[in-house]
Amino acid sequence: MIKTLWELMQGEKCLVQGFSQALDESYRVRLMELGFHPGEQVTCVQVPRLGAPKLYRVNNTIYSLDDSVATLVDIRVSE
Amino acid sequence: MSEALIIGTPNSGKSLLFNRLTGMNQKVANFPGITVDISYGPMLANPALELVDFPGVYSLHSISEEERIAVRAFKKSLADEHLDYVICILDASRLEKGLHFAMQVLRECQLHGKPMLIAANMIDVLTKHDMHLDTRGLERSLGVPVLPISAKTGQGLRELEQAMDKNQVSQHQHVPVNFKAISDVELRRMAHNLAEDCGPKGDLLIRSQARLDAFFLHTWTGGAAFFLIMYLLFQSIFTWSAPAMDAVGASLAWMAALVLPLITPGVIRDFVKDALFGGIGAFLVFVPQIFVLTMVVGILEDSGYLARAAVICHQPLRIFGLTGKSFIPMLSGVACAIPGIYAARTVDSPYKRWLTYFAIPLMPCSARLPVYTLIIAAFIPAREALGGLVGLQGLAMFMVYFFGMMCGLLVTSLVSRVGPHSQQDMPFVLEMPPYRLPSWKPLLRNSWNRARHFVTKAGAIIFLVTVIIWILGYFPNGGTDLGASWLGRMGKIIEPIFRPLGLDWKYGVALLSSFLAREVFVGTLGTLYGIEGADNDMVPLVDQIQSSGLPVASGVALLIMFAIALQCVSTLAILRKESNSLKLPVQMFIAYAVFSYCAAWIGYQVVQLF
Ligand SMILES: Nc1nc2c(ncn2[C@@H]2O[C@H](COP(=O)(O)OP(=O)(O)O)[C@@H](O)[C@H]2O)c(=O)[nH]1
Repeated sequence: MIKTLWELMQGEKCLVQGFSQALDESYRVRLMELGFHPGEQVTCVQVPRLGAPKLYRVNNTIYSLDDSVATLVDIRVSE
Repeated sequence: MSEALIIGTPNSGKSLLFNRLTGMNQKVANFPGITVDISYGPMLANPALELVDFPGVYSLHSISEEERIAVRAFKKSLADEHLDYVICILDASRLEKGLHFAMQVLRECQLHGKPMLIAANMIDVLTKHDMHLDTRGLERSLGVPVLPISAKTGQGLRELEQAMDKNQVSQHQHVPVNFKAISDVELRRMAHNLAEDCGPKGDLLIRSQARLDAFFLHTWTGGAAFFLIMYLLFQSIFTWSAPAMDAVGASLAWMAALVLPLITPGVIRDFVKDALFGGIGAFLVFVPQIFVLTMVVGILEDSGYLARAAVICHQPLRIFGLTGKSFIPMLSGVACAIPGIYAARTVDSPYKRWLTYFAIPLMPCSARLPVYTLIIAAFIPAREALGGLVGLQGLAMFMVYFFGMMCGLLVTSLVSRVGPHSQQDMPFVLEMPPYRLPSWKPLLRNSWNRARHFVTKAGAIIFLVTVIIWILGYFPNGGTDLGASWLGRMGKIIEPIFRPLGLDWKYGVALLSSFLAREVFVGTLGTLYGIEGADNDMVPLVDQIQSSGLPVASGVALLIMFAIALQCVSTLAILRKESNSLKLPVQMFIAYAVFSYCAAWIGYQVVQLF
């Protein structure tokens, strides 16, 4: 099922599917360079409360993304 | 002189390697056009070679103008004939990301015919996890030397230094692919495959990081830790820098006592006493604060906490158009705007940094405290309110503080909503570095450089303004009567501006002179009322103001004016330097002058109604 990265729950894994049209081209390139490219596995490692940015793991790096970015990344939940 | 350039993504260990290779002998220059420093210095093992520490960028595809400038500068230095080769440092524990960047760099090097060398850093982390990096395989695929190093433990640095020889680097360039012809998509796939083939396999993240994050980002424990750490940060500015500030003041007084008797009384002596020592003192007092705050922010950054604090503050600050990273600069601004403006360097989005600059001068800095104290003591009765729960004066003080902060946030919300939305923003994608113990030497050096930057870059203008104000207040009557001086006359000329607020020319003069530093207001007002030393003992001045029959509404207007107006030459000078534009401080000065006046007028009218 296609969801956005922001909807991923703590501990869940997913595969990046693509990006929303609304995401700026330069942001998309940057996200891919940081590791969020289609086909890559991403794990949501922590969801701080009160709408704070969530923590995602890609390869051996952890990034925090806020909803303005994470809702524009399309994913498919795996496992 | 030949040159080698070190480039790498942020957090790859570039600064540490640079420090290792150059030792203490380095210089810092402001990077033209952007608010990052560029360090350079001769290599310890080979002083004929100058190493340049290029600003860390995530990619050669830039998002913001600031990154664009850095990337353009990188390409320009590649064309420089003095440049021998490029050292690209990458974090071997995050190989794919590092390789992707290194290949972008390699493409540029190939384009400009410059040789390149890769330093695969953090090899100690791999060793600790019993993992391996296939440097031979990387060398074969990329065709450039790849040296495994640890900038932390020093492992492999010997070999790196030996390999850093122009001829040797050139001889080992056998790049098998024409990177110029490879698309970005292809490049990323290559980086991915190469990392799979040659990189460490498995989990390299320390489990403690997840545990610490669970603690520091938890609603309750994380919240408590946040308040504690911010409290310590705030305290450190006062408690650690206060003795140093006192020492600066005392040594200047000591020097003045030594020098002044040697000069015959007269204009020269007055100049040396008030303008020279006063002027130098006016900006030297900031130095300890800048040093301490740079140090503390550096500790937070190095330890990895700064990124967590940004996550915690992000959501609430976003309402006001800011980002989580704006919090620490603004908090610093509550002590003093200058270290706050420096701390705004940690805001990576240039647009958000620009917005943060707007908020910082409205944070209730400590120089406003004496002014607030004076006005509140003069107008607010020392009674208790709410059944003895709070003192009325304390409540008033709290309200002015709160008012300043709210105004700052109001301004950023407004500017971010209606102001020009530039292409300078960056998405909130923040790397969470592992928790680490900070390395002290670079921190100390960085703080030292920052303090020096302030003295050399802002000192001249602050001094100049001091001298101008001194001349205006001293002549034409030799400093005997401030009211009859040029400054006094100016105060009388601008009196019509302040009359609608119920203030006379004395307040105008005091306001003009407080442009040096807000607290000067108290001393100047005292002088005008013929009270010496009002800055040390306010009581006679408070009595004087009370008996002068100044209405309460005027007191409120003054409080509002001081809460908003950007009348601080040091802040303006450092804004000019940090934002690299004259326009921003001038605009801010005018906008806040108008804003403060209008708000003060409204406050005056409202209080008069009662
Ligand atoms: N374990 C380990 N840590 C390192 C190594 N090199 C740098 N670091 C740490 O990584 C962090 C980032 O290093 P820094 O030099 O500031 O990176 P920069 O952003 O690329 O300049 C610092 O906390 C360093 O102490 C290394 O080889 N091994």
